[in-house]
Amino acid sequence: MLKLVGAVMVIVASGLSGLAVAGSYSRRPKELRSLRSALQMLETEVAYSATYLPEALSQVSSRCDKTSALLFGGAAAELSSMSGATASEAWEKALEKYYSSTALKSRDLSILRNLGGSLGISDKEDQIKHLRLAMEQISTETASAEEEAARNVKLWSYLGFLGGLLVVLLLY
Amino acid sequence: MYQCDNAVSGILPVLPGNIRSMVAAFSHSIMDKIEEIRIRQGRPLVLGLSNRDVFLTVDGRPTHEAREAYLVTPVDMERLVQLISKSSFYAIEEELKNGFITLPGGHRVGITGKALLDGGKIRTLKYLSGCNIRVSRAITGAASGVLPYLLDIDGGGVFHTVLVSPPCCGKTTMLRDLIRQISNGVQELGFSGLNVGLVDERSEIAGCYRGVPQLDVGLRTDVLDGCPKAEGMMMLLRSMNPQVIAADEIGRNEDVGALEEVLNAGVKVLTTAHGKNLAELVERPAMGRIIRSKMIERFVILGRSRGVGTVEDIIDGKTMRTLGVKKC
Repeated sequence: MLKLVGAVMVIVASGLSGLAVAGSYSRRPKELRSLRSALQMLETEVAYSATYLPEALSQVSSRCDKTSALLFGGAAAELSSMSGATASEAWEKALEKYYSSTALKSRDLSILRNLGGSLGISDKEDQIKHLRLAMEQISTETASAEEEAARNVKLWSYLGFLGGLLVVLLLY
Repeated sequence: MYQCDNAVSGILPVLPGNIRSMVAAFSHSIMDKIEEIRIRQGRPLVLGLSNRDVFLTVDGRPTHEAREAYLVTPVDMERLVQLISKSSFYAIEEELKNGFITLPGGHRVGITGKALLDGGKIRTLKYLSGCNIRVSRAITGAASGVLPYLLDIDGGGVFHTVLVSPPCCGKTTMLRDLIRQISNGVQELGFSGLNVGLVDERSEIAGCYRGVPQLDVGLRTDVLDGCPKAEGMMMLLRSMNPQVIAADEIGRNEDVGALEEVLNAGVKVLTTAHGKNLAELVERPAMGRIIRSKMIERFVILGRSRGVGTVEDIIDGKTMRTLGVKKC
């Protein structure tokens, strides 16, 4: 009896961890897509209404997806507190918090970092260029993330359970 | 002990951290009022006080020795520009063409750098290397002394008035308080308030933030914020039915043209002009035309012979004679 309970627990545990890995594969393209659309909103704010960055960021954060809102809202809060932080510092700070709560990879992080370095410091055309570049890079990452997800989500969700089953069979 | 006054503490958030603490330390220790903060890359940090200027040391002490003074670094300058633009350089491009931007609270920041031209016109500034932050202070009652000379009690209105002074003599402060008192009315003088239309092209009279005046410009004042004067005066004339139209710093031809239009429309005019005295003003082509036409009824000459905002003279525009008030 005790053996059976142990076996079930092993299967459940490894199954769940498999699902978690699969989940992170499927989350990344979603998060990237949400980031891209948020950046698109930011571009509109900057290009057409020349909204000041703190305001633009908080507007984007109120309209965009919940995960990206953490990044834009965090940067907006830091900037509007007038603590003396520049846009890139505020962005960097928000980015750290945001990154740890997402399934993004370090490649994605460096795209956002590069963007942060040029936020708000140049004229409109230049800002648009930087935002477009970041969106372009994110699109590329999204495509590869989707491909990876298609391959890995199924694999990992089965692999967890089957791995657990294998362990149980070997030990039983 | 002198407290860091409100006006200066309104400016502190746009200064980079190190400069911020120097200025804060200074304004706590000295009785003088800071009028300007001049920040020039590679040169000492200068504070303009009411009658002199001082360099600041790293710990916020005033000094007259340039070598003791804190030298502004390129990093300071970069941060300063980011902070005054609220990290939105792209949003201030239009304002940079005029060489200055206005902070919430109506403080004006003059900016110099390298001008980029496009077809002979300034497109924007680049390599910004110098800033002059002018502290704007609303002084309630600054205009009380001159107001009785400008009111047309029998006619129930005010005279067409031009305030004339060199830069930094309290023109804008005086204008703001005049507007406030005219708009609110002055009971002691038996003067009830008038509807005032204010064209605040540089946002320094009303200090509008998102269109709402941050400084007291009176109960019956409509503010067109950031609008070019000539167009703004015509807009107000047509739309808001003002009894008085006020604008700052009339000088360009189109401003004067619009001013003439207002003068002829039965609306009273309240404005300012750069100049040391009337003789100097008459020399300027556009202003000279208006003065010679005797349309303006009162000229108030401001100076700083007894401190900022000294009323040097009030002149009747019709007779060109002084009204004998040298001690307001």
